[in-house]
Amino acid sequence: MNTPAQDNTLVALLDRIAARHEPGASHLQSEAALRELYDLTSSRLFGLALRVVGNREWAEDVLQEAYLNIWRIAGDYRLTLSPPMAWMGVIVRSRALDFLRRRHSDRADVRVELDEALSDTIAGDGANPMDTSAASEQAWALHECLRKLEARQREVVSLAYLRDLSHSELAEQLKLPLGTVKSWIRRGLDQLRGCMARFA
Amino acid sequence: MEISRHPELLDRIAAAYALGTLRGRARRRFESMARQSATVRAAALLWQERLAALTELQPGETPDPNVWKRIENVIAAQRPQTAAPARAPASPALPWWRGAALAGALATIAAVAVGIDLNARNRQLATQLAGQPVIEYVAVLSDERSSASMLVTFDPRRNTLTLKRVGGFQEAADKSLQLWALPASGGPRSLGVLDGGPVVKLAAQENDMKQAPALAITLEPRGGVTGGPTGPVLFKGAVIQAPV
Repeated sequence: MNTPAQDNTLVALLDRIAARHEPGASHLQSEAALRELYDLTSSRLFGLALRVVGNREWAEDVLQEAYLNIWRIAGDYRLTLSPPMAWMGVIVRSRALDFLRRRHSDRADVRVELDEALSDTIAGDGANPMDTSAASEQAWALHECLRKLEARQREVVSLAYLRDLSHSELAEQLKLPLGTVKSWIRRGLDQLRGCMARFA
Repeated sequence: MEISRHPELLDRIAAAYALGTLRGRARRRFESMARQSATVRAAALLWQERLAALTELQPGETPDPNVWKRIENVIAAQRPQTAAPARAPASPALPWWRGAALAGALATIAAVAVGIDLNARNRQLATQLAGQPVIEYVAVLSDERSSASMLVTFDPRRNTLTLKRVGGFQEAADKSLQLWALPASGGPRSLGVLDGGPVVKLAAQENDMKQAPALAITLEPRGGVTGGPTGPVLFKGAVIQAPV
């Protein structure tokens, strides 16, 4: 779990990145801060990008865009009350979704490649391993609650969120009946709600 | 129905909203209720926050080192021009053009000995150009990803350098690309400033090419700079003497 000290380090780096806009500030120091932030967070965020887009090359493009975005809007972080990793995670997810939307409008065959990565996890009932090593307290709570779900329920709930998929898109991509997807999601969410309420 | 009075139902819909599975008309209705009721809005925000934590739980994976180099290139290009100390190289050991000129010299030797290991597209371009006897010098200037970005040829009869953009790079309106010869000894010498067009012709002497094992292109303020380069190196590559 991320300790408050680790979070403070990330927040301080975001501040230093944003500081380049202040009078007399050094651009080079902001660049160095971005480098430090990248070293601390890129593997976690790359794993996330990879999970959303399902392909290393695309995930690298997404990661690049996401850090350039963080570089641009680091000053906005202070306006949020989110843990820094969650804030950056949301940026990566939305860049990744934008990327997929652009690809979808370019080509229709993207889905095939996504399918393979997806069906691996579902078919094997292989829980995609979750990792709490750099997670905020909130993420740890979510992790504890997700752990109590059946692996495939956990997986469809995660995919619905990470890839912003509707019931029917999930059914199509996972080659499952629509009713099955709906009931997994509904039961998954109900359990999650019960569990998260205890952490609130 | 006033869903803010039904906490269980509100929580369920808010969770589906944040997850993204609440779609269509139901989603739009929920959104308009949220705009009117702080209770509804709070429930939605709570679930958005909770689920955002999913982004923190994915297993890590190390990205290719090139990703950082690409990021670094972009942010280095944004350095304010007044920041003169920005020119100080990160490692004081060797100015960047030294390494490039040296690598260029080595590449020329390698080119004579075994041919040059360029990617297929570059090789094809270089072969086509090498086939034309009037062109004695060719350079393919690449960025960090080794995707060809600028093809340089020198025509000794017309004393003309021709630069052709191969990649999609386009500098911002307030910037110019500047071409430099990197001699084996001494600092970079400007060969000229490129306008924004896809093909650029610059006047040059054969000696400029003969004495430069490598060329580089830097990003400079619009119109270019006098003296040495001030901006980041975008593309560089070895000068190859094409077999006549």
